[in-house]
Amino acid sequence: MDNVSYQRFPTVRIRDIKDDVLKFELRDTDASIANALRRIMIAEVPTLAIDLVEIESNSSVLNDEFLAHRLGLIPIVSDRAMEMRLSRDCDACDGDGRCEYCSIEFHLSVKCTGDQTLDVTSLDLVSSDPSIIPVDAAGRAADMGGFESNDTRGILIVKLRKGQELKLRAIARKGIGKDHAKWSPAATVTFQYEPEIHINEALMETLTLEEKQEWIDSSPTKVFELDPVSQQVVVVDPEAYTYDEEVLKKAEAMGKPGLVEIYSKEDSFIFTVESTGAIKASQMFLNAIEILKSKLDAVRLSFDTEEADDQFGELGAHMRGGGI
Amino acid sequence: MVGRTESSGGSVAIGGSAMASTPKFGSFYGGRKEEELDCSSLYDLTKPHTESFDYFVERGLEEAVRRLQPIELKHPISGTSLRLWVEKPNVSPPMKDLGSQALDQRLLPSECRLAGLTYRGIFTADICMQWNNGVVVRHNISYGKMPVMVKSSVCHLRGLNQKQLVAAKEEATEMGGYFICNGNERIIRLLIMPKRNYVVGVKRTSYKNRGPSYSDKGVMIRCVRPDQSAVTMRMYYMNYGSASLGFSVRRQEFLIPVGIILKALIESNEYEIYEQLMSIQSDSKAMKGALGSQFVSQRAKIILEEVRQLSLFTRHDCLQFLGNRFRPVMGLEDKQQHAAVVGEQVLNDYILVHLDNPLDKFNLLVFMLQKLFALVDGMAAPDNADALQNHEILLPGHLLTIVVKDRIQDWLLRVQGQLLKEMKEKPAENDLQLKHVQKVFEKVPASDVSKKVEYLLNTGNLVSQSGLDLNQVGGFTLVAEKLNFLRYLSHFRSVHRGAFFATLRTTTVRKLLPESWGFMCPVHTPDGSPCGLLNHLTAACQISSDLDARGNKKDPLAIRKSVTKVMVNLGLVPVLPKLSNMAPPEYLTVLLDGCVIGHLATGAIPSIIEHLRRLKVVDGSEVPADMEIAYIPCTSAGSYPGLYLATTPSRFTRTVKQMFGDGSLELIGPLEQAYMEIKCPGGNEPIGPKPTHEEINATAFLSVVASLTPWSDHNQSPRNMYQCQMGKQTMGFPAQALQCRADNKMYRIQTPQMPIAQTNAWNKYHMNQFPTGTNAIVAVLAYTGFDMEDAMILNKSSVERGLHYGQVYKSETIDLTELRQRGDGVTNVFARSGAMARFKEQADKSANFIDIDGLPYVGQTLTEGDPYCSVVNKMTGQSKISKLKGSEAAIVDYVAAINTGSKDPLQKVTIRTRHPRYPQIGDKFSSRHGQKGVCSQLWPDVDMPFSAVTGMRPDIIINPHAFPSRMTIGMLLESMAAKAGALDGKFMNATPFKKSSKEGGDGKDFAKTGGNDGTADLLGQQMNAHGFNYHGTEVMYSGVLGTEFVCEIYLGVVYYQRLRHMVSDKYQVRSMGPVNPVTRQPVKGRKVGGGIRFGEMERDSLLAHGAAYLLHDRLHACSDYHTANVCGFCGSLLATVPLPTTRGSLGSLGLGIQQGGKKICRVCNTSKGIETVAMPFVFRYLAAELAAMNIKLTMTLSQN
Repeated sequence: MDNVSYQRFPTVRIRDIKDDVLKFELRDTDASIANALRRIMIAEVPTLAIDLVEIESNSSVLNDEFLAHRLGLIPIVSDRAMEMRLSRDCDACDGDGRCEYCSIEFHLSVKCTGDQTLDVTSLDLVSSDPSIIPVDAAGRAADMGGFESNDTRGILIVKLRKGQELKLRAIARKGIGKDHAKWSPAATVTFQYEPEIHINEALMETLTLEEKQEWIDSSPTKVFELDPVSQQVVVVDPEAYTYDEEVLKKAEAMGKPGLVEIYSKEDSFIFTVESTGAIKASQMFLNAIEILKSKLDAVRLSFDTEEADDQFGELGAHMRGGGI
Repeated sequence: MVGRTESSGGSVAIGGSAMASTPKFGSFYGGRKEEELDCSSLYDLTKPHTESFDYFVERGLEEAVRRLQPIELKHPISGTSLRLWVEKPNVSPPMKDLGSQALDQRLLPSECRLAGLTYRGIFTADICMQWNNGVVVRHNISYGKMPVMVKSSVCHLRGLNQKQLVAAKEEATEMGGYFICNGNERIIRLLIMPKRNYVVGVKRTSYKNRGPSYSDKGVMIRCVRPDQSAVTMRMYYMNYGSASLGFSVRRQEFLIPVGIILKALIESNEYEIYEQLMSIQSDSKAMKGALGSQFVSQRAKIILEEVRQLSLFTRHDCLQFLGNRFRPVMGLEDKQQHAAVVGEQVLNDYILVHLDNPLDKFNLLVFMLQKLFALVDGMAAPDNADALQNHEILLPGHLLTIVVKDRIQDWLLRVQGQLLKEMKEKPAENDLQLKHVQKVFEKVPASDVSKKVEYLLNTGNLVSQSGLDLNQVGGFTLVAEKLNFLRYLSHFRSVHRGAFFATLRTTTVRKLLPESWGFMCPVHTPDGSPCGLLNHLTAACQISSDLDARGNKKDPLAIRKSVTKVMVNLGLVPVLPKLSNMAPPEYLTVLLDGCVIGHLATGAIPSIIEHLRRLKVVDGSEVPADMEIAYIPCTSAGSYPGLYLATTPSRFTRTVKQMFGDGSLELIGPLEQAYMEIKCPGGNEPIGPKPTHEEINATAFLSVVASLTPWSDHNQSPRNMYQCQMGKQTMGFPAQALQCRADNKMYRIQTPQMPIAQTNAWNKYHMNQFPTGTNAIVAVLAYTGFDMEDAMILNKSSVERGLHYGQVYKSETIDLTELRQRGDGVTNVFARSGAMARFKEQADKSANFIDIDGLPYVGQTLTEGDPYCSVVNKMTGQSKISKLKGSEAAIVDYVAAINTGSKDPLQKVTIRTRHPRYPQIGDKFSSRHGQKGVCSQLWPDVDMPFSAVTGMRPDIIINPHAFPSRMTIGMLLESMAAKAGALDGKFMNATPFKKSSKEGGDGKDFAKTGGNDGTADLLGQQMNAHGFNYHGTEVMYSGVLGTEFVCEIYLGVVYYQRLRHMVSDKYQVRSMGPVNPVTRQPVKGRKVGGGIRFGEMERDSLLAHGAAYLLHDRLHACSDYHTANVCGFCGSLLATVPLPTTRGSLGSLGLGIQQGGKKICRVCNTSKGIETVAMPFVFRYLAAELAAMNIKLTMTLSQN
């Protein structure tokens, strides 16, 4: 065991980068690192979310805690979240909300006076800090032409009929998804092993054209294609393969086992990161690396110290290479 | 973007009160749609209730008072005669009390609910008085306030459109059918009754106990008058060949030889009667359905001989005989009426009361004898009294009609009694004139009539001398709990077999019989004690009413006339002129509503029936649309043949399609159904005769609740039954007018959704208005071990996003008028106690919670022990503060100040609190397929497995072992279908039997495909089209390790319901707490903080484990541990007392539990040898009890 170095130099290659979607490859590492990144992105990258709501007047159909819950789930632009303080650690204040280091105040004051039902949306939230506002995901998407125009009115909170009023003060705080899902910046983070697909060309040639097409169609995703010119089966998108083994089963059912061989590269991962809009997907990944690093620092700091035994127990001994 | 659907909180939201029910994912924005929902399908569900109440107020009361016995009196001195009767009963719509200053004087149902009032209107009638047969004097009298059914014709809500209903603080879909009693919604239960005016052959061993020579065979008929009052009559076969008639008067059965009644009914001679009876027989004995002439003639002779032996030769003799026998029973002892007149009254009141004409009665009696003889001879089998074809329903309005009739009759009799008493005591003063009579009216309170009805509604108990020919005295009403819409709705559709049958040990009455097909749901019955007794009507089942298709009142006489006319044209041989030898098998008797209208030649019947059926569906024809045409053909030892027509109300009916003519829809009943050929779409081609009718749709045999289960045809049948139960226990969205209600307890789910896989019934009954669950991403895998034994793992993040968030609403009414003594003024008022300076300190403490008016702030969060209401006694200045009980936090939701009508200060409030209930470990959830489970963990999102392709983490993980033994394939299908639907953005139709019926497309023969209707295939293809696995599985990675699972995981979307059973209502824990003062053992009961009994069997298991310490801990240390002082010399436990500190002190004599201090044995008079011994306190108690019986208990102490 001694002198075996586990050190590797993982590389990242970005495939696709948008504000809310990031696709990249992570190579030369193993599942533990990939999964650690995924877990941190979902549960530990901090964002801002409304955490305290003081309701002054609420004559809407939804009750106070229902509204507070809905407000909490509204994603808030959290680019500054990394350098902000958690309100429980804030020295400057007692976490009451009027502190520039840990909290942002929002006000909402809407009254319906017309005969039409009034939609109260995230756009009605007035922030004390112009840089920290609710994410208008729809508005931004409209620029990209992805959404219908009538959905550009922010995130719906409640509807008011004539005479109903909603007046409240809300405080957004920094937090992480582990504590409450509202602080999770990730809609989805997933990865899969990169597949390696080898077609046995010789065996493939024994199939008729119809059989080839049938075999191709057996995969629910578009992995293979029949080349219109050469009439050969080619791999068009190996990553579309979902490891469902449908094609292998099909090959076996056709009496041609070994028609295709599929391996997963155990040190190569394809990541898809989708953001709620609170922070950019790319920033989320960078933050995750940052957090992972600081976690490892914490481990390294306590390495070889007295506290290590207390803090890490058997793991501490393990880290010192003592074995268990 | 697939991953986005995962957040369950609000991907499919329900809108305001008028959300459109189009099956598309709609936009969340914008104003409300103004279209009206078509709620006729919902109204149909409560129709039996509302329609029968309309009958009660509009026609039933009138009919009932018309048939009341008038009272007749004669003054002993002046000889003035007085006749008293009742006319023109009227129930008026509910109004506020006089003196109310409200602008709107109407009393609306919502006000009653909130204020805990009863929704009732004034019930009046005219008392008609006639002196010496002179002019009729009318006197309007009030019978009190009669409870009024919501949405009946005297309810303010009748005829309102949905906007107006919402303005009246009701549901837009309000369907009525219930009463509001003290703020509770109560329903009169539908009860099964024997079918009216239909002769049933029965064989019961208990009949032998009627007397010597009674056999076990008889026929029975429940005769119902047009005013719905009933008299059941039985005809018993005597072993010596005769028959005897039995009927009950005031719950006592009277038996008369049938010959007497036959002779008393019509002027006739023995030869004629003999001929009539002999018409039963036919010469061709060999043929099926025929009786032997020998057999009948012998018995006919015996019947006639029996009468002759009593020396009753003429009709007059018989009437006189009856009159003499029944004079005391009829309550006519001191009357001067002739015996024969009394006899006629007996015939009128108790013999075949549904018929007025004695000849009709005679003919029916002859028919009953024929049926009885056929039964005895074995030519006909006894009818099954448990089969639906011999049943009808007791409707709420009909019950009320007979109850009110009974009560008014009772009142009249009491008026009569009072008048007689007064005339006897002081004949001179009480002259029977108007003034006197009116005085008596005041003495005998007429409002008792309505009070008894209210009592009936409140308690379900019936108070009646006669029993009203009902088999039970209690359980007539139930509370319509609005737990969720399914439960609410099924109250109206539930039909109870009768309280009597619940006590029976035999299970035969509970059996599901094929006769119930299409009328009673085979799926929807509870398990446990009411199983099979409490059934539910199918969604399509309707109850016939006394109105015709055009809404006009049906006239039984006119119907009989017109139907007879039609039938005569078709070859019916009418009853008159009498022709003998009209007997089966050549001729069959035709009965219409229990009246013999003639005979038909057997061969002609099928074509006549078809003609009648054609006429039946023609609007406005002579044949009523809901007439039951039951032709029971001649069989050997089958049911007794005949053609039985019925047009009466309260029968079961349902629609099927005719396969002749132009395919009209026909209403059929359960009796005729058994003898009809009805084809089920998609079913096998029938082997027997060619079908004449066709089912409209394949799910028509299911109740509303059962038809909401998606793909229930793929499930094992008990699972569907469980779902019917659990659907009714689900936390849902119970009412849109939640804000205007004050139910004791109400459950609400915060973010309900429409199911993606839904049946046709879902939209038909507007379930979108009251959804009951959430579409959850469900993975089927054994992940952590926390999903064993039907436990399920919830995703913590999903829960935080609002999955299955719920609230419980609790209401409390504080009524200060209850504290008030009679005659007192207002002493208690709602006020903060600080109103008095003396209590300033106390006031400051509660000021955070209680406003100056003594009521809580709306929106205030309360925790255990927080005050929420303060009442100050003005006389003493003391305040009484209500504090929140239970450890659970609550939020004040609503405070209703209720005007009690007077000008006094506020005396009544209703406070509604809201208790948030987030899903937690121990809460119960269920899919719609009887798959219930308890949440065992709220697992962090990152630790949940995730799908490699979509990154989806499931909301719920269930164990695969839930499937093999339960075989709920429907759930697997739903999972795939909803997944495909979610991908497509479409709702999926999951109606059962869809593919096998014509509406579902190919209509393939069910048998040929081996039950595989291709649903799974279709769904697989849809999944493939979206790039998902054909079988609904996905490759998943462990959330903890990031490695791929060996197996592919079944992942899909299932509509999950949160059930109302929650740990926070059930957990029970104690280490110390209240003890029973006598035994010092812990008390029981969760509410009082008691313990759970550690019983014998629990003790046994600890013994078996040798867990001695635990045993000692549970049964002694944690129970009634006690150290007693025992005298070592005399061994007495009770004689030891602490040494008195001062002479003559009596302090703590008997028990000696004071620790420390010197003890003395009073017997041995020494403190030496007193030892402290640990023992259960009950042991000491035992010693004391024994001492009380002069038994001494001594203990021997030893060192070891």
